[in-house]
Amino acid sequence: MTRPAPLPVAEGPYPPTEEMLNAPVPPEEQERGKAELRAAWKTPEGWRYFSAVNNTEVGVWYALTAFGFMLLAGLLALAMRVQLAFPGMTFLDADRFNQFFTMHGSAMMFLFAVPMFEAISILLLPAFLGARDMPFPRLSAYGYWCFLIGGCFVLGSLLFDAGPKAGWFMYPPLATEEEGVGPDIWLLGLSFIEVASIAAAVELIVGALKCRPPGMRVNIMPLYAWYVMVVGGMILFAFPPLIAGDFLFELQRSFDWPFFDPERGGDPILWQHLFWIFGHPEVYIVFLPSIAIAAMIVPTVARRPIVGYSWIVLSAVGTGFLSFGLWVHHMFTTGLPQMSLAFFSAASEAVVIPTGIQLFAFIATLMVGRVRMSLPMLWIAGALAIFVAGGLTGVMLAIVPFNWAAHDTYFVVAHLHYTLFGGMVFPVIAGVYYFYPFFAKKLLSERLGRWSFWLIFTGFNVTFLPMHLTGLMGMPRRVFTYPESSGWGTLNLVSTIGAFVVAAGFAVFVYDLLRPKSRQGQIPRNPWDAGTLEFSHDVPEEAWGVRSVPYITSRYPLWDQPKLVERMDAGRYYLPDAPDHQRETVVTSVIDAKPIYVQRVTGPAWITIWAAIFTGGAFIFPTFHIYKPAIVCGAFAIVCVLYWLWTSTARPPRDEMREAGLGLRLPTYTSGPDAVGWWGMWITMLGDATAFASIVFGFFFYWTARPDFLPAGTDHAIGTWVAAAALLGVLAWAATLLAREVNRRGNVMLARLALGLAPLSAAAAAATAWLAVRDLDPVSHVYPAILWALMVWLVVHLCAGIVMQCYCLAGSLFGKVTPRHDADLRNVTLYWHFMALKVLVTAALLGLVPGWLP
Amino acid sequence: MTEITENEDAHEFRSEAVSLWRITFAPLIWAVHFAACYGATALVCAKDGAVDGLRLGIGIGTGVALVAIVWLGWQAWQQWDLVRDRDWENDQGTGEDRHQFLGHAAFLLAVISFIGVSYVALPALLIGTCR
Amino acid sequence: MLRTLVALAGVLLLPACGEGRQSVLNPSGRDALLLYDLALVMFVGALVLWLLVGGLFVYVTRINPREMSRGLAEGLIVGGGVLFPVVLLGGLLVYSLPLMQAPREAGEGMRVHITAEQWWWRVEYELPDGSRVTSANELRLPVGQRTGLVLNAHRVIHAFWVPALGGKADMIPGRETYLSFLPESAGTYRGQCAEFCGASHALMAFETVVMEPEDFEAWLAAEARDATPPQTQEATRGAQVFAREGCGSCHTVRGTQAVGQVGPDLTHMGSRVSLGAGILGVTPPDFANWIAHTETLKPEVAMPSYDHLSPDDLTALAAYLGGLQ
Repeated sequence: MTRPAPLPVAEGPYPPTEEMLNAPVPPEEQERGKAELRAAWKTPEGWRYFSAVNNTEVGVWYALTAFGFMLLAGLLALAMRVQLAFPGMTFLDADRFNQFFTMHGSAMMFLFAVPMFEAISILLLPAFLGARDMPFPRLSAYGYWCFLIGGCFVLGSLLFDAGPKAGWFMYPPLATEEEGVGPDIWLLGLSFIEVASIAAAVELIVGALKCRPPGMRVNIMPLYAWYVMVVGGMILFAFPPLIAGDFLFELQRSFDWPFFDPERGGDPILWQHLFWIFGHPEVYIVFLPSIAIAAMIVPTVARRPIVGYSWIVLSAVGTGFLSFGLWVHHMFTTGLPQMSLAFFSAASEAVVIPTGIQLFAFIATLMVGRVRMSLPMLWIAGALAIFVAGGLTGVMLAIVPFNWAAHDTYFVVAHLHYTLFGGMVFPVIAGVYYFYPFFAKKLLSERLGRWSFWLIFTGFNVTFLPMHLTGLMGMPRRVFTYPESSGWGTLNLVSTIGAFVVAAGFAVFVYDLLRPKSRQGQIPRNPWDAGTLEFSHDVPEEAWGVRSVPYITSRYPLWDQPKLVERMDAGRYYLPDAPDHQRETVVTSVIDAKPIYVQRVTGPAWITIWAAIFTGGAFIFPTFHIYKPAIVCGAFAIVCVLYWLWTSTARPPRDEMREAGLGLRLPTYTSGPDAVGWWGMWITMLGDATAFASIVFGFFFYWTARPDFLPAGTDHAIGTWVAAAALLGVLAWAATLLAREVNRRGNVMLARLALGLAPLSAAAAAATAWLAVRDLDPVSHVYPAILWALMVWLVVHLCAGIVMQCYCLAGSLFGKVTPRHDADLRNVTLYWHFMALKVLVTAALLGLVPGWLP
Repeated sequence: MTEITENEDAHEFRSEAVSLWRITFAPLIWAVHFAACYGATALVCAKDGAVDGLRLGIGIGTGVALVAIVWLGWQAWQQWDLVRDRDWENDQGTGEDRHQFLGHAAFLLAVISFIGVSYVALPALLIGTCR
Repeated sequence: MLRTLVALAGVLLLPACGEGRQSVLNPSGRDALLLYDLALVMFVGALVLWLLVGGLFVYVTRINPREMSRGLAEGLIVGGGVLFPVVLLGGLLVYSLPLMQAPREAGEGMRVHITAEQWWWRVEYELPDGSRVTSANELRLPVGQRTGLVLNAHRVIHAFWVPALGGKADMIPGRETYLSFLPESAGTYRGQCAEFCGASHALMAFETVVMEPEDFEAWLAAEARDATPPQTQEATRGAQVFAREGCGSCHTVRGTQAVGQVGPDLTHMGSRVSLGAGILGVTPPDFANWIAHTETLKPEVAMPSYDHLSPDDLTALAAYLGGLQ
């Protein structure tokens, strides 16, 4: 048995010298490169267009869909404003009003704000980074189709008068006791979209870390990339607690396990914790990427590099952290100890500081520059005015005694709309005006833009400024009517009028966006004289993104690197051709962006749509308590994903090296931490571990919050079976690890043997975990219920682990995994590291902890 | 210009990977301090109500956290190296600027974390009850 | 400058102060008054800061758009972004955090147990001997004493809020929350459920009547007594209708056969100031309207509409209930 040769690494001169960059590219070379790239990146035509996965297509679909959902949710708001225009109106009845406000909030948050961030980032990030595409294009496409199906399902429920009606934060017991399928639609439909969001976050983080152009070190990458990294990280730690909450919630709805029922040891407050641990960072998840758009526009307008780049990085990272210490300020009235409230009050004030720094850095940049007040800048100015007001009322609301007065009133409604319009809607519209020439290769109308700005800005303030007063005058939120004697009538009427002015502004904006612009002719390539790479793209559009991937030495390469665009166009830089007619992009190192290898990027496919349809089935059928078709759909979804992975990822390449341009030779395959797939797995596992930690938090929460946890004389999990599950789980992990190690050393037979044993051991672990709690009745009390929930979570993950082990075994048998090409095996081992941790923690909670608790 | 295979700065890269993580150390201390304060308060108030011990504990924990943050901040300040080269922006595509930029970011995050930890300790100072 | 702004804020808030029995801006309890001051300070502060930031923005983009020095710009970030807010917010925390203690204090007055139902309030006054006097949908408090409110909920979460007297507190099934009020002047203040609690959340209000201590004692003594028997012929017939329709299986009228616990206690219904949890008055037509159209007036309420009753029966029932003084 000989140890196999290691995989090749990058070789050749780097960084390129000025002399190399000055050398002309022969015209026939240029033509050949163009033809090859054009063929490789061709967008499918006709009905096949929808099989496209390229970021420029998927990003635009994503953004338009999210925008469409936003308009629908806005119509719901208009209907509510009509109902509230006068006291005692009967335009909407109580039931419909409650469905409308629930759906308005849910849709704006889950179907507009977060997906819009993902859409914009998928569309723009590769361009900011001079990359050809996202690292996992099919994953973005899959995420998009999931989003479309889930969004239509959730919003469609209104047409059948079956919408959820317990408010967008679905507090139990109201939501758990609600009759009908409304809460199930909310839970399963949105869980489905949350999964898609996490997928997008994984992809965006990997994109920002690994797909930067050569030379773009961390200190010169566009600020947008910093924000994407921070926000991706936040999604990873914020969404999983909600998914864990959804999991417990749906177990209660479907099987009556009493997680939130105080009669049987549950506690409705647990949901509030899990929801707001998600919900508050969510606000910043929405705000940061939008302010990142401002960070791209402001330097262009000031015609100066941003002042305080490090300060803005600090503010993004700092906000990312601090935003996780604010969640209880949504729960100030729940009767928690004063000291606990005060911690969150203090942290909520602390988060103001990084946010303020961010805004002052923009003003500082405008100070040192000579400002040209373009249309995008007008929207940014409006955003600033509105957001600062929302931030200041936020400071007030974080003060506990004031919060006790203003909580759950129209003051909060005003505050949150000020932060979200100022922190999200206005900057995003600014971004649409600014980036429209980039993605549509046309310009929007200056005149219509000003009309729509002034209509929306005025209408917004007319609507929401009076609401501060309405709230302090005692009007609670979420009321479908109010008495005349309350004295809220005039203010409400003003708000309603304002809402229609906002709607008129949006109508102008939509018209400008969609009106035909074919007579406009060809626009300049860089209409705003911006300094960042997205405006180096070809006009008219070429699907390849960048003609060649540049070598970057500045934060504003289009300003500071004089011959950059010319050289890019000539194909002087990296990957100027596609000899194999494959889609490719350069993967670089995390900190210094040194080229590591060439990533083969996947092309158009229908499999992503099929996978999304089946995943949709797996989530949507259980809504109606139909489980068999759901299981079938789930199985088909897994088969689709496996097929797509098997056929198009981490295939051993025909040529191990590729001439990448400028004398550099790059490998076409890599495994382990250099590869994007490994990072994708690592980041996904962080999110998954967070969800698991949230369930563990639930266990200890019950212990601190409930005197009857553990209930007297209760049965426990059976110790022997728990120990057996722990042992077998660890064995399955050890076998996987062994397989990776011996495979790398060339002992393929032993590796296959280990990979054959590992799933058996894992399956036995799952079976023994089930045996351990089988005799407990999860309906009787929350203690057996949470043990069951932990067991179910573990078994589901073990099953996923088994599928992965079998995938690697099949890979080894059919030549996809070899001693040198072991990316799949290494990624699966990484999964199993986390799996082993979960096995041990679950076993400790099932078997040991109940004995230790006083 | 060097051959990329030489990897002469592999060592430097490894230490720099640490400094990319290091920018998160100070906010992580804030997070741990915050979670500890919240968790301890929830536990003490739910179980035995020994508020004085709790306040003392929070005081000591805060002291330790602040010292650790100051130490990290000092290290980052040196890495930023402002006094020597008066470079605020570190905006060149060079290894040196990247190194100093990470120091600058870590320093600023230490400042913010210091403020955050101090704020979060205020309640223990001002409020002496579980009610 | 500051005085002008305070005056300006006053002008803005003045129209609101005059009216509204459910307004934070019309404070009448100790905690609400302290809160009003806090709110005013923060409003003025926020207005000044908003004008400063906005003014700065307009100055650098419109009034004086020429290039300014980098040092100044960086100074702005350090001063405006770090130093100034750290001091300001620190001061605000030190000022405001201690303010949250009073409403959680037990106080020297009585304790009232309030349980939220869908969509009404069960109110029980705890007497010194530990016994309880049950009422519903109305809270009476003596001036000048800090009264403790022990809050609970049945089935779903609600929130208790009387803006003129103090802050709000959630009412959570399986948990007990606590709030106390120290009213400073007599009057009637409206309260309302603030946490969304289902279809008729908007229709779950109540009146708080603050009385002089001696009036309160007299009222409480009366409230503790059994119901007055019907005084008129009409009312007597109403009592018969009440019994015939089975009202007593849900409602209690102390001193009669009616001992139901599902709905509000009606023992002294006639002496209350509102009907249907703060949504109607207490005139005879209001009673008749409510009994005949409960489900229209309050969607999804547990009590059915008694629309099969004849107008005569309704009038008699109204006379009976109105007579329960």
